Amino acid sequence: MTQVLKREFIDAFKSVRSILILLFITYVSYQSAKFFDQNQDMINQFAEESGIGTGALYTAAIAFVVLIFGFLFVFAISHDLINREIEMKTIRLLVTKTSRIQIVLGKFLGVLLFWVVTISISFAIISLITGAWFLKDYVQTMIFLFYIISFVLFISTIISKTKLTMFIGIFLGIVLPIIGLIAVYSDKWYFIPFKYLLPYNYLEGSIVMTFIPLVIGVCFISISIMLLNRKDF
Amino acid sequence: MEMMNVKQLTKKYGSTNVLKGINLTIYQGEVFGFVGHNGAGKSTLIHILTDIVNKSGGSFEILGIPDQHMNQVKKRVGVMPDISNLYENMKGIDFLRYMGELSLANSSKEYYLSLMRDVGLEGAEWKKIKSYSFGMKKKISIAQALLGNPELIILDEPTSGLDPESAIEIRNMITELQKSGKTIFLTSHNLDEIEKICDRVGILSEGVIKKLGTPRELKIAANESKEAIGLIIRTKPVLTADHISQISDDLDINISFLHTKKDYTFLKVTSEDGLPQLSKKIMESGILLYEVKMEEQSLEEVFMNTKEE
Repeated sequence: MTQVLKREFIDAFKSVRSILILLFITYVSYQSAKFFDQNQDMINQFAEESGIGTGALYTAAIAFVVLIFGFLFVFAISHDLINREIEMKTIRLLVTKTSRIQIVLGKFLGVLLFWVVTISISFAIISLITGAWFLKDYVQTMIFLFYIISFVLFISTIISKTKLTMFIGIFLGIVLPIIGLIAVYSDKWYFIPFKYLLPYNYLEGSIVMTFIPLVIGVCFISISIMLLNRKDF
Repeated sequence: MEMMNVKQLTKKYGSTNVLKGINLTIYQGEVFGFVGHNGAGKSTLIHILTDIVNKSGGSFEILGIPDQHMNQVKKRVGVMPDISNLYENMKGIDFLRYMGELSLANSSKEYYLSLMRDVGLEGAEWKKIKSYSFGMKKKISIAQALLGNPELIILDEPTSGLDPESAIEIRNMITELQKSGKTIFLTSHNLDEIEKICDRVGILSEGVIKKLGTPRELKIAANESKEAIGLIIRTKPVLTADHISQISDDLDINISFLHTKKDYTFLKVTSEDGLPQLSKKIMESGILLYEVKMEEQSLEEVFMNTKEE
């Protein structure tokens, strides 16, 4: 599994798209943290009036990027996480060397590690500027990304054409954040499934609620493993 | 010792039965060849045995491990599925390293370099696989199957599409592997090759193993089932139809004259029992007899007959 993980992780850094995304998130984090640091009075006043912690304000830029562009970015880098190997038939080599479950987990963890590094760089920059590490926001962001990566893994498992997952990825990357955010505030019956299946509703809840996307993510991974175990290559 | 034991293995694709109950045992140290026409199910069988495809029914054991626990045995089995399964954008050495690390094999650079040398890929280590020739791709595919010193090696058409020189190299490699104690299970369309390197052969047709045995056994069995035996006789002067009709009068077997070619006469006899008597008669008639040879069915004919059965 570690070899699949290592390869997926290294490959993520070789792609131009992922480097651009990493640079974009790092740049946004740096600029926003610098701006808030230079306007601390405004931050304190806003925090006091709104009841939001100052930490949440410093990390608001990362949260915004992940909430709005998270699906799009992860799909852009990893839409073909599983089906690329199936399409190129290289999965036939992999399954003769290691178990299918290890292939799925290795790939998932490789991508997750890429995002852990990317988000950690951004939080480290904020930490350098503010002198504090905003753990709650960090964990929440990582759980959100865990959900997205497991969802992308699931889509890449059920759809075998990489071109199709790229197209669907762009579509879902744009549509899901919109639906997800509307569903949080809407009582319409047709938004209810999205409210509970997408991770947006769980951001502003109790600590237990925060971990629900993690559980849904594990379900996506489990279904992906189950489907792949039954698949003929 | 049994290296592989397959029992009533079946595979269905929709309503099509590709494998209809395969029973097979492969023993330690043998080279087992599997032949069959296109679509007979050879690759499907290999794919099931190597976890590429799921079985529909039956069971199998590899190195004593049942198919439900196949992941435990993967490190001890080398598989060459197909050259189209390679990571084309990787350099040869990187590809072997990646595959080797998946197998938990020796991961030193020298090990991979020596393996590439062993399969005849010296000088191509740092080139991308997509720049390799067809033969080189076959070789690196075999090299990855040898990673981790496996006890059982499964090769899917290792020499198909290769020039004669490369095919001979790979055949020699297979023979060397057998000498070093490996068990090899391979499929091939090349019946000459199967005959040369395999200890036992299985002929797969319509999803079942129709014939199984050593190449010699299969040919003998095919000859025994024939109604007439082909006979080639070299004499001086060459035997004519008149000679044959004169000689055969006193014999217990029926002889039919077919044709002559140079010094050879081609006959058909109903039984081999009268051959000593026939030879004696020829010599007594003043004709010099140099050679009497029974026409054997080639493995190719055995295969073709199996297909028609």
